Amino acid sequence: MLSFSEVVYRALNGPICTERDFDLAIFVPNLRKVLQKYDIKYDPQNPIPADDDFADRIWEAAMEFLVATGMFCLDTERRILFTREEIEGALQTGPSGSVYGDGKDARIMPRRYPEDKTPPWCSGCGAGPVSKEEYVINIVKTYAEDALSDGITAPCITNVDGLPVQAGSPTAIEGAIRTIILTREGLRRAGRPGLAVVNEVASAIKAAEHIAGHRFGDPKVDHLEIGLIHELKIDLDALNKIMYTQSLNNLTFAENGVIIGGYAGGPAGVAVVTAAYNPVDMLVVRGAAQHPFIVPIEKGTTSRRDCIWARAAGLQALSRHSPLPAVGSGYSSAGPMTKMSYYEFAAWVIANVVSGGSCEMGVPYRGVLIDHCGPMEDIFANGIAHAVAGMSRKEANKIVLALLAKYEDKIPDPPTGKPYPEYYDTTARPNKECIALYREMRKEMSDEFGLKFRKTSPYG
Amino acid sequence: MAKEAVFESLKSAIIDGERDKTLAAVDAALKQGIAPADIIEKGMSPGMKEVGEKFARYEIYLPEMMMAAEAWEGAMKVLEPKIMAAGGERKKTGKVVLGTVAGDIHSIGKNIVGAMLKMSGFEVYDLGIDVPASHFVTKAEEVGADVIAASALMSTTMTQQKNIIEHLNARGVRAKYAVLVGGGSTTQDWADQIGADGYGRTAGDAATLAIKAVAKKGGKK
Repeated sequence: MLSFSEVVYRALNGPICTERDFDLAIFVPNLRKVLQKYDIKYDPQNPIPADDDFADRIWEAAMEFLVATGMFCLDTERRILFTREEIEGALQTGPSGSVYGDGKDARIMPRRYPEDKTPPWCSGCGAGPVSKEEYVINIVKTYAEDALSDGITAPCITNVDGLPVQAGSPTAIEGAIRTIILTREGLRRAGRPGLAVVNEVASAIKAAEHIAGHRFGDPKVDHLEIGLIHELKIDLDALNKIMYTQSLNNLTFAENGVIIGGYAGGPAGVAVVTAAYNPVDMLVVRGAAQHPFIVPIEKGTTSRRDCIWARAAGLQALSRHSPLPAVGSGYSSAGPMTKMSYYEFAAWVIANVVSGGSCEMGVPYRGVLIDHCGPMEDIFANGIAHAVAGMSRKEANKIVLALLAKYEDKIPDPPTGKPYPEYYDTTARPNKECIALYREMRKEMSDEFGLKFRKTSPYG
Repeated sequence: MAKEAVFESLKSAIIDGERDKTLAAVDAALKQGIAPADIIEKGMSPGMKEVGEKFARYEIYLPEMMMAAEAWEGAMKVLEPKIMAAGGERKKTGKVVLGTVAGDIHSIGKNIVGAMLKMSGFEVYDLGIDVPASHFVTKAEEVGADVIAASALMSTTMTQQKNIIEHLNARGVRAKYAVLVGGGSTTQDWADQIGADGYGRTAGDAATLAIKAVAKKGGKK
């Protein structure tokens, strides 16, 4: 595979281009050309497509598009270009089967295919913004107590001793440090100190914040999540993070959230760009997993029909052709402690798993309301993910259509649900109401769709 | 060519986001003696209106919006001097200073808001991304803006929206500007908490809020 130093060289010396020209004169026309050439079209009637030829066309479209387009470095205003041979080189030698975690908590990140029986990777915890540090510990502990949890995404501290965490300031550094210390304490209390923290500071933006957090965690077990900029853009700060992670053999989650309504256009373009990010995540971000999520430009939920379709189509394309596993993430529009959020989680997780992906379980209410997050939807989603491993895409499509019918019309005005302190009790566990809802939703999924759950968490 | 056909060609050039085609249509219209104000109001504006409607229906996306806005701006560079030379004045809805706040590099939402504001007749001063709070204020003072619109995607950058208001207060100019906030992590509660004048849950809300803000100020420019 191309060396990272060569990637850096290209970021500093590649062909000069303005951002506007990259977006509108290169990215958009190249994408439209391949969408037409390979006849990639969105099918709203089937949110989970089940056509391997279609998936392969998406992949070919993505590779042709990536070679023609490359990436753009915002700070140097230069393009980073790759040849098809370099991309194929990455695909042949890229990471797969990385081991995350340590000791008895070590877990393999599996390569999966559409309709694969291989159990998916499941990480998460309900990593939204929280107002109190003790919530981080308790949320992480609860999620880690589920045996199906393979890794943790840390919740976001929003203040340091009452001072709001502000990106680029000392509060962000201190917030990052506290986040990882609190997360590790939550894992210790759960009896799972070897579990991997795969996005060790969800709120970190700058390299300094990530690195500060990482320094106070366990470098063998904790990993950065490094995101790119919409679409196919990077800056020197992200390259700085990568230079750091490279030196530590970090198993980076390479994040890309392609936007429906943005430069990639509609769901068809988004599926192609999602697939195109996969080799980029190996070549540039040096990731051990692709971490895609697809959101619409407005409202930021991933459970809309078009988002589910783009996710499924993109994942099928890349999982059929790349060794780099994809751990898709999601956001519900409804808040925690609502039936709607459970339906939404189920829908996108099912689409993920049957399309060859693994899952990071995401956050309710788009992660925008402080304390409107928590682990129970994520634990529920763990169960869903394992229950549908091996399911056909056709069968999964029927289930997702049924789920969409339950919540789709409510997306514009969803219930906010309850904040964490209202559904946790003083023993730092979910209260009776919360557990009852969790069990009710598992029973509903089982009765209505025949999904089989195992008792892997303390809550049934 | 009949006037209606001229207006139709202007409208479709804007909808197609074809800057050169728009300029050619403007040139043809001027040569036919059509007044610049009519070229704008009867040809170009209906095109922009349709672009906005198509975006709201998810028939087109950000690239089409930006290219339509570029085509519009290219044409306005030709037409506005002619309007002023004839002693007239282009009716603008208002002036907006727009940007993504300091520490935040997300631009897509901001770009859509910018395009929608232009479609609504606003003069938009886009400061880009990672913009310090004081720069919003300085630019607003420089251009005599009506509205400051600040976007923040992350929970750790939205505090900068509060900073903008604090800078306005520190300079004693808070009352001069309507401050609108938006972006992934922001909410109405947040906007109320920091004393913003409006919160846009969607990009489409921004133009509506900006129009209301200007009307409240008591004048169109």
